[in-house]
Amino acid sequence: MEIKKTAIAGTLESSDVQIMLTQGTDGIVFDLVSDVVKQFDEAIKKTINQVLSEYDVQNVIVKVVDKGALDMVIKARTVAVVQRALDIVDEPKWEVL
Amino acid sequence: MTNTVQDIHMSNATQKKKWQAFLIKLGINQFDDQELDVIEQTIGIYDDDQLVATGSIAGNIIKYVGTCAIGEITKGARFNQLMTVLENRMALLGRFHQFVYTKPLYVQSFEHIGFKLLANSNEGALLEKGSPDVQDFLNTIPKAPQGVQKIGSVVVNANPFTVGHRYLIEKAASENNLVYVFVVNQDVSLFRTDERFELVKQGVKDLKNVVVVAGGDYIISYLTFPSYFITNTQQIINYQTTIDARIFKNIIASALAIQTRYVGSEPLSYTTYLYNQTLVRELKPEIKVIIVPRIAQYNQTEIISARKVRQAIADDDFETWSEIVPETTKNFISQHLAELQMRIRKGQKINGN
Repeated sequence: MEIKKTAIAGTLESSDVQIMLTQGTDGIVFDLVSDVVKQFDEAIKKTINQVLSEYDVQNVIVKVVDKGALDMVIKARTVAVVQRALDIVDEPKWEVL
Repeated sequence: MTNTVQDIHMSNATQKKKWQAFLIKLGINQFDDQELDVIEQTIGIYDDDQLVATGSIAGNIIKYVGTCAIGEITKGARFNQLMTVLENRMALLGRFHQFVYTKPLYVQSFEHIGFKLLANSNEGALLEKGSPDVQDFLNTIPKAPQGVQKIGSVVVNANPFTVGHRYLIEKAASENNLVYVFVVNQDVSLFRTDERFELVKQGVKDLKNVVVVAGGDYIISYLTFPSYFITNTQQIINYQTTIDARIFKNIIASALAIQTRYVGSEPLSYTTYLYNQTLVRELKPEIKVIIVPRIAQYNQTEIISARKVRQAIADDDFETWSEIVPETTKNFISQHLAELQMRIRKGQKINGN
């Protein structure tokens, strides 16, 4: 699926994550800011990648500001931002949730 | 403890006064009309009835950000809450790219929430976040092929393109293997941005080693150097030109392997004169600044400038303007003379840059 428009979800508050998706041409490109990047860099990307692949998003720039979000929070925020970026907010993909 | 987000309306004198008092306490005390007029939205976070954080949106710029530590929430947490609200408001307006000017002291706070530093100086720093960012801008510019050794650059507003611009670019082209000509992007001149860009392109078409590029947000824009377009004090000009020069040096020139920047000597405009001085000071040693004396007419008594062309258009003085522009610009002005004169009558300023 192609990203239709730039979208954002989440907040910058503690225990949350802010994710922005923009059209890309070069696979899934991450720009990740986190205080725990050393420990959880791979884990955060893995969770986001999984959601992206369930929506079949292959080319996208993913800008992430993590404030120590737990896995399920990251997943929920990713689902929200993907739905917005694909312009399918009205048609939730239940099997992903 | 209840923290609520509310809009602050500048038209409401009481609200504005409280807002200003709050920022003054935090050390922000510039409230010129120039700065305030561009604000579209201001939000406040209130702890019960007390203002504890505020920020404003003006186009892509977030300004007048202030937070304090009153109440039970830490200053950092409140700052993040405030920035979330501001960024979400901007997202609703379709703006996913934010800039912020701040004191060097706060650079880190902004970096923690995803902002990236564009330039720093003693007086202030400029940061950006979101898309498209400076990297996306650089990606749109064609890179020099392998093996190209000498790369020069020229920045022009070209309002409009004159034989003076042509002379400067020709000189750069003769001394380099490749020359980037950046055309200022801010659309506030007599000649519109697309017109200026097209006239530069046409005017250097025969110079095969010249690449004409739109300057984007990052070279002489309302963002980096607003005083280029609006009169300002020397102190402010110095600060803005420093930011502009450092972005050019550290981000743009380094990505494109530019070694030289050519500028015309500036006996007429004080702002541009100061800009040249800053460039000389800031760009060395990595980038050499070559100040090329401006060409003149009538036994060196009158230098050629785009300002002179604009004045002559206003005066309907064909003799004067047609003499100092190349054929391509001449054709354009001839075809659009009435429209250009109309823009001047409607209030377009012609005596600035």
